[in-house]
Amino acid sequence: MKFLSIVQLTFRESLAKKTFMAFLAISTFICLLFIFALNVDIVDGLQSGVSIFGKDLPKQFDLTKIVVGIEGGLSVLLYTAGIFLSLFATSNLISTMLKPGFVDLFLSKPVSRLQILSGRFIGSVLIVALNIFYLVIVSGLILSLKTGVWNWGFLWAAVIIVLSFTVLFALMTLLSIISKNGPLSLMVTYLVLFFSPLLLVRNQIYALLSSKYYGYFFDGLYYVLPKTAEMGAMTQNLARGLEINSWMPLWSSLLFALVMLGISAYIFQKKSY
Amino acid sequence: MVVETLELTKHYSKGKVKALDGCSLRVEKGKIFGLLGPNGAGKTTLVKTLLGIIHPTSGSARILGEPISNYRVHAHIGYLAENHRFPEFLNARQILFYYGKMSGLNTELLYKRIPELLDLVHLSKWAKTRIHKFSKGMAQRLGLAHALLNDPDLLFLDEPTDGIDPVGRKEIRDLLISLRNQGKTIFINSHQLSEVERISDEIAILKNGKVLKTGSVEEFISVKQQYQLLFTEGDTPFSEVCAELNIPLVQTDGLFTVSVESDLQLNHLIDELRQQRFILQGIVPRKISLEDYFIDVVGEEAQV
Repeated sequence: MKFLSIVQLTFRESLAKKTFMAFLAISTFICLLFIFALNVDIVDGLQSGVSIFGKDLPKQFDLTKIVVGIEGGLSVLLYTAGIFLSLFATSNLISTMLKPGFVDLFLSKPVSRLQILSGRFIGSVLIVALNIFYLVIVSGLILSLKTGVWNWGFLWAAVIIVLSFTVLFALMTLLSIISKNGPLSLMVTYLVLFFSPLLLVRNQIYALLSSKYYGYFFDGLYYVLPKTAEMGAMTQNLARGLEINSWMPLWSSLLFALVMLGISAYIFQKKSY
Repeated sequence: MVVETLELTKHYSKGKVKALDGCSLRVEKGKIFGLLGPNGAGKTTLVKTLLGIIHPTSGSARILGEPISNYRVHAHIGYLAENHRFPEFLNARQILFYYGKMSGLNTELLYKRIPELLDLVHLSKWAKTRIHKFSKGMAQRLGLAHALLNDPDLLFLDEPTDGIDPVGRKEIRDLLISLRNQGKTIFINSHQLSEVERISDEIAILKNGKVLKTGSVEEFISVKQQYQLLFTEGDTPFSEVCAELNIPLVQTDGLFTVSVESDLQLNHLIDELRQQRFILQGIVPRKISLEDYFIDVVGEEAQV
């Protein structure tokens, strides 16, 4: 119950932020767009025509391809803009908790420091998950009900998006605990988010450099840092119903998150406030 | 003992800054304990260390019989932090609800207790107002209500009357005395010496992380073997009597203060004065204000 109250409080704090409300509003707008813009005429149980914004699509259009294409596009949007905005909106949830006068109130309660940190972390992930699943479930449901095409991969894509956010948020949590500075933690996390895709082409980078040690360095970075590009591709493949060749990017990124959280918990436990 | 510290130290910057330096003190159950000290003396550090917010460098401490590392004991502790900050997007009632839940209180109890506490601190009318609209005094009163949420056995109050008007201060004093009478222990950190003097049973003076003095308020403010003699007539010439008995006499602002070596000498002086037909109105043990005492002690230490 005590732990749950920390989760609830974090959830309330997140809801009070305009970013999440804007996110919800955009999601609702997209869902409304699907309700009113996409029309599928069914006659005697068979599809007779599809129109988008009142414009009829040619008969040769495959409805499954249209739905999967839309959901694939949405998953890319959520993976990029969604995670970007979510990190921005949650960037000060940990650092705010650590501010003098605020942290004292948490630490003077009969809850362990681990519970405080995990409650705050889970609360932040939950609000992001709510936003992402809201858009994915509602828009997926509208598309499926209108077209009769059920693409469960879209739901799995949402799971990967939430896990990707969780991985990056774990890094941001550690940085916030060390620096007590939300904007700084956000900037470093963004750097990792945008820098790690470059490591996919690390062979080409260290081919340009003289020492072999650069190769070891970039390889090390690649295996240690979250694999955001691969997870993005994984999300898109799942949404499009394509096969996933390797789950390594996912589990190694989750391992990274676990290590980040472990170090965060250790430092939070040892620090005086 | 409700609070017990033994050689508690907290050093920062590899020992260059000594926030607490071998601090040892004991607080008994059912007392109001005032911790005094100049700015940077280590008062807040001590309270935060007792609450596990700051980890000590060395030494040990127990609260309510438990080591300070045991966070579960906080279920029986109330804390009003100096410059506390509640989430500004919540109103007073919501704050007490969420923080009450964090203290392990159930919803039913909170629905009963929150209106009572808001009424106690005169915030009922503001229960649904977001606290970013609160004045400092209102925020302080909400902090006090928060500290009392779990009906604590031990209450830590860091500058409890900060930002509160004189009427509010009196109400808080009365409330603390009433809590003390219910058997609760109250540990106050304050710069308001007159406030502490009025309500504390025991006092400790802290400077540079060290406890300089501990004792009851009476012990601190009464000056041993000095008495003020009150006569019916204003300027009564009894200096000759004092001179005969070899008793130092000081006259300031119409008050006669004698310094005697013992109770026997005081009685001897009274006998002499009565024999010589001086009409005594009263004999009052001389007291100094806690502020004077505080300045003396803190100043003495500085000279040493």
